[in-house]
Amino acid sequence: MYIGIDVGGTCTDAVLLDRGLVRAMAKVPTREDLLSSLLEALDEIMKGVEGELVERVVFSTTVITNLIAEKKYDPVGLILMPGPGLSPSLYRFPTDTYIIQGAIDYRGREIIPLRLTEVDQAVAELAARGYHKVAVVGKFSCRNHRHEKEVAARVRWNYPDWHVELGHQVAGQLNFPRRVVSAYLTCATREKYQFFVRSVQEAIAQRGIKGAIFILKADGGTLPLESSLEVPVETIFSGPAASTLGVQALTPPGETAVVVDIGGTTTDLALILSGQPLLASRGARVDDMLTHVRALAVKSVPVGGDSVVERVGKDIIIYSERLGAPYCLGGPMPTPTDALRVLGLTRLGDVDRAREAMQMLGAPLGLSVAEVASRVTTRVIETITREIEAMFSRWEQEPAYRVWEVLQKKKVRPGTVVGVGGGAAGFVSQIAARLGCYPVIPPYAPVANAIGAAVARPTLQVTLRADTEQGIYIIQEEGYQGKITERSFNEEKALELAKEWLCKRAARHGLEDCVEGLEVTRREVFNMVRDWVTVGRLIDVTVQTRRGILHHVGAGGTSDEK
Amino acid sequence: MRNKKTGLVFFPAFDWAISPTHPEREERLLYTRDQIFEEGVLDLPEIEEYAPRLATIHDIARVHFCVPRVQSQVTEAHLIAAGSATLLADAIVHGELKNGFALVRPPGHHAMRVVHGNRGFCNINNEAILVEYLRRHHGIKRIAIVDSDVHHGDGTQDIFYHDPDVLFISFHQDGRTIYPGTGFPNELGGPGAYARTINIPLPPGLGDETFHYVVDNLILPILEDFKPEFIVNSAGQDNHFTDPLGSMRFTARGYAEFTRKLNPHLAVLEGGYAIETALPYVNLAILLALAGHDYSYVREPEWPGTMPENPERVARVQRVVEQLRNVWENRDRVDLDKIFGAGTFFQRRKHIYYDTDYIEEEQLERVRRCPNCPGYITIDSRADHGYGHPSRVFCVSIPFTACGACQTEAYDAYEQARGLAQYQFVYLQDKSTDTFLAFDRDKDQEWVSEGPKVGE
Repeated sequence: MYIGIDVGGTCTDAVLLDRGLVRAMAKVPTREDLLSSLLEALDEIMKGVEGELVERVVFSTTVITNLIAEKKYDPVGLILMPGPGLSPSLYRFPTDTYIIQGAIDYRGREIIPLRLTEVDQAVAELAARGYHKVAVVGKFSCRNHRHEKEVAARVRWNYPDWHVELGHQVAGQLNFPRRVVSAYLTCATREKYQFFVRSVQEAIAQRGIKGAIFILKADGGTLPLESSLEVPVETIFSGPAASTLGVQALTPPGETAVVVDIGGTTTDLALILSGQPLLASRGARVDDMLTHVRALAVKSVPVGGDSVVERVGKDIIIYSERLGAPYCLGGPMPTPTDALRVLGLTRLGDVDRAREAMQMLGAPLGLSVAEVASRVTTRVIETITREIEAMFSRWEQEPAYRVWEVLQKKKVRPGTVVGVGGGAAGFVSQIAARLGCYPVIPPYAPVANAIGAAVARPTLQVTLRADTEQGIYIIQEEGYQGKITERSFNEEKALELAKEWLCKRAARHGLEDCVEGLEVTRREVFNMVRDWVTVGRLIDVTVQTRRGILHHVGAGGTSDEK
Repeated sequence: MRNKKTGLVFFPAFDWAISPTHPEREERLLYTRDQIFEEGVLDLPEIEEYAPRLATIHDIARVHFCVPRVQSQVTEAHLIAAGSATLLADAIVHGELKNGFALVRPPGHHAMRVVHGNRGFCNINNEAILVEYLRRHHGIKRIAIVDSDVHHGDGTQDIFYHDPDVLFISFHQDGRTIYPGTGFPNELGGPGAYARTINIPLPPGLGDETFHYVVDNLILPILEDFKPEFIVNSAGQDNHFTDPLGSMRFTARGYAEFTRKLNPHLAVLEGGYAIETALPYVNLAILLALAGHDYSYVREPEWPGTMPENPERVARVQRVVEQLRNVWENRDRVDLDKIFGAGTFFQRRKHIYYDTDYIEEEQLERVRRCPNCPGYITIDSRADHGYGHPSRVFCVSIPFTACGACQTEAYDAYEQARGLAQYQFVYLQDKSTDTFLAFDRDKDQEWVSEGPKVGE
């Protein structure tokens, strides 16, 4: 049996899946103490079920999201080695930043040596300002991490108990400013996250569950809870990923659909293209900073069932904030939910109070209760539809760097709009109509997010970059730099090596089972030519375990999607 | 208008090359990609990356006579490179962008009006296609192209040699020391476009200081007089001190300063083959300069600092600058008949060598000296591919602003050539109505391309 728990901003949802069928579900309010909400939901679905029967528990959590949003972490200083390029004044990081000498180029060659006395000076100043955490990041450190390691050693030589985070360990992709932010946030949250993970492990063990515990990441993959300690920031934004995977599990395989998750204050939009959720082409924005965190392409629209509606002059405006429950449920202000209630599109709350709310809005304008209600819902529908259209054009506007990519780009439009979340029932059919799609509200829509968490696959990837001229290779995710000894090293051997590393990585995380059916997601080979002679090759290979879900729900059994 | 964004199309064509070891190959923009991505430049709010788009066959036919037809001379990569320039131009004209950089491959400034094959790594001329596109789709008339490639932009010069509304300025390494061997100060444009072509040959080995002397004392003053509505920079980067093909000593910072001063609407990448030591830094610096950012921290690892210039060569450049300023200032006072003769047609013979495809072409170009318009052009072209019979074609080009008489005469010339057995293909390019005709003698067939009309 599988358990999925999604700790959201307002509600914590949980499901118990038994061979692809939903056996129990629960919805409890999310409290300040996340752990207690989590356990309450868990206990509710576990009634009468032995802990030993649970093979795996997957949950998504807002713990890191909250830590970052509320800035509940110790200050982190930055020591950076940007080398030549953009003016450092263009990088605005929200903390004390020290820029020191030292530079690596795009092929990992040192172009400016370090000056360690500068490290001593930076550390002394940071210490004087009360810091004991520091992130050390160099430009192109993902191609050669020597400078970062040397600086870290120097910091520790000065202050052995400082917490030092290195850029290349946090993110292997190119983009120095994003690597800085990712390292900064990792450094800031690691300790608190560790504390949370330990309490979860303890609590779940107390419930007699011996199955594996996983955590959902923003990209829709799962990680063993223990391994997530290495990359705490990747657990941010796992909520939208959970509902998208839930829709994937609740709809037929291979479908192209828009996921519309209408909550109380926001509506999250996501795309499923030919059965696979779309990943954002660049890392996620966290607290208005750009990071390397891989995430599903989710757009959050600030409108939901509980958004405040007000009359301003002759206009009716929907605000992006929530001031409590809808009027029909005893709240203080009219909301879109009240409009839905009046139009008979929901059965939530008291219809008389809902009419009263519409009356308040419409009376000064001479509008009937029904007219106001339809105006409010139309506004909501228009806003969401516009965002969906924009999302598709943005996706079509993604850059392409190869001829075939440009040529194969075509306009894909979804056939269905799948609604989940509280407000879905009232709005989705009209949104779909405007887009010329079929509306779908799958069974278990209110707990689709928990289902998504329950069926999410573990994901691991390994990116190998080999430079045969220099005779070196790098495993980005591991921060490993090795030598190529074979003289006949080529693309095929690079692929083999990458697969070996993925297996090793899987073993380290206790995920030996998932290395079957590996996917090669990137494969690039460039000849390096000097004076008309090929002197070497640059080979980039990314292999990953299969992305997606373990099985569809409701279909019964563990019918893997093809 | 200066608070708007800088648009970028980055199209490295990672799956397109002339040949595996050719300088114009897949690897060319690889390190530029790494540098731009790692800097996080694309996350800057002032820079917006666009997805590339394909130019249409008609966009090409508006400029070139491709033999036998457009499809046989271009690959999709060419269409994407040219289309990316027009895409950015659209956004600039519509006011979404203040300027743009088409960081694309393959390049184009050696491609001439008639195209029998690949010359100097180019098949079609991205800047020329852009210019005709701007005139046709946006009604922009006066355009300046400043070519900063180490090689003379002979293709662009050829296409606009008789066009009084396009100012073409090229500075480059002296043609006696480098391909294509042209671009001397006496090449000043035809009788209807005198001094609309300005060539500044530079002796090998010159650095930033003299480069900026030319910019400040010649290029910028001429531009100020000409008052173009749109400025294109044919941004070749092989004047860099590490370039394997050129012998100049410009730096990334020198290029960036030039970009800042020129303030072009659109920069289109041309040459530059120091793919590791120059391109990542020069491209980054140009992009920052276009976006109005500080580029003083961009410094190539081998940066030599300030370099002493050879005084004798600097003096030579100063003389050329003085001479050309003189030409420019007196452009409306010269007796054109004395230079070009007094006939109704001006004609010149050209010998064109296609270095990549080993084609020898002989051309007789005639332009009608019309008092009311720039005059139509005919080209009798014979290309020897080194095998079989040379192919011979006849081309007629009617300018955008043609008068009725020239248009009628040009159609007559086309009809007449259709009746002459020596021409395998006869072409007519009517820019005034945006219509293109091609006649294939063997098949006794005529193709017509009318393309989209304005506003479509």
